[in-house]
Amino acid sequence: MIQLTKRVEFCAAHRYANPRWSPEENARVFGPCVNLHGHNYILEVTIQGEPAPETGMVMDLKELKELILDTVMNRFDHKNLNVDVPFFADTVPSPENLAVVIWDLLAPHLQGCSLARIRLHEDGTTYVDYIGERGAASGAAGAGRVD
Amino acid sequence: MSTDPRGLPLVEMTRTYQFSAAHRMHNPAFSDAENARLYGRCNNPTGHGHTYRLAITVRGPVSPDTGWVMPGEALDARVRQQVLTRFDRANLDQLLSPADGVTSTTEVLAGRLWRLLEGTLTGAVLWRLRIEETSSNFFEITRPLLQRAAVPPDRPGPAAGGQKASRP
Repeated sequence: MIQLTKRVEFCAAHRYANPRWSPEENARVFGPCVNLHGHNYILEVTIQGEPAPETGMVMDLKELKELILDTVMNRFDHKNLNVDVPFFADTVPSPENLAVVIWDLLAPHLQGCSLARIRLHEDGTTYVDYIGERGAASGAAGAGRVD
Repeated sequence: MSTDPRGLPLVEMTRTYQFSAAHRMHNPAFSDAENARLYGRCNNPTGHGHTYRLAITVRGPVSPDTGWVMPGEALDARVRQQVLTRFDRANLDQLLSPADGVTSTTEVLAGRLWRLLEGTLTGAVLWRLRIEETSSNFFEITRPLLQRAAVPPDRPGPAAGGQKASRP
């Protein structure tokens, strides 16, 4: 089993806002992130599988690049995530949620290999990893609070 | 996303920090000659130092309200309180105790930092601690490996005395 990773960069604007909260509550929880701002996101898409005997490849990197271009870059690069991506009309466009959306967009298109990890760098000091796991339906009650 | 029957997505978030500290590798149980042989230039009597780069990973369900596993600021505050205020611009040999390990290696330091952070986080679980001593050496503690090894992180392993140091 081999894992391989393709890295791409996209630039997008976003703001943190929970539509179910008042502007004051949003400002209190999200601070300056309620203002429209942007990032140069670095996305690392890791797939895994066995190299095909005929080609020696887990997946043709050219095809992976085109898939990422079609499903990710065309949706997010040089866009306003809150406005241009319908999913984020009522969901906070955090790097966590962005990684999950990217996973859900890419996973169904892979044939002969599988998606192993989405790593999304928001800036040079913060990144998130998602490997497709779900659970804990109740969530972390205190996760929204800065203490 | 919050109504997905599979439950909330579980995501890891990593944030990176750095601190500068001095130390000297020296095991008082050994002779000076043995220390010099074992630790080489890291045994320099007047010490040396590093800018340690620390990456802390937490894991948990993504809150449907905030989109976060945990607020980055909350993690920053914990790392500042538990690690940076203690270890930045400090002498590790005055901060680490024999209970942490025999010398102030980065392995020993990583174990101490893990114990300082574990249990102080709310809403997410400490998942991985990675510390770079220099650009060529880094050390990691991960929760799955700890669980697999079944060695509690608060119980230091046997002293590493007698092993040949594999790095300068």
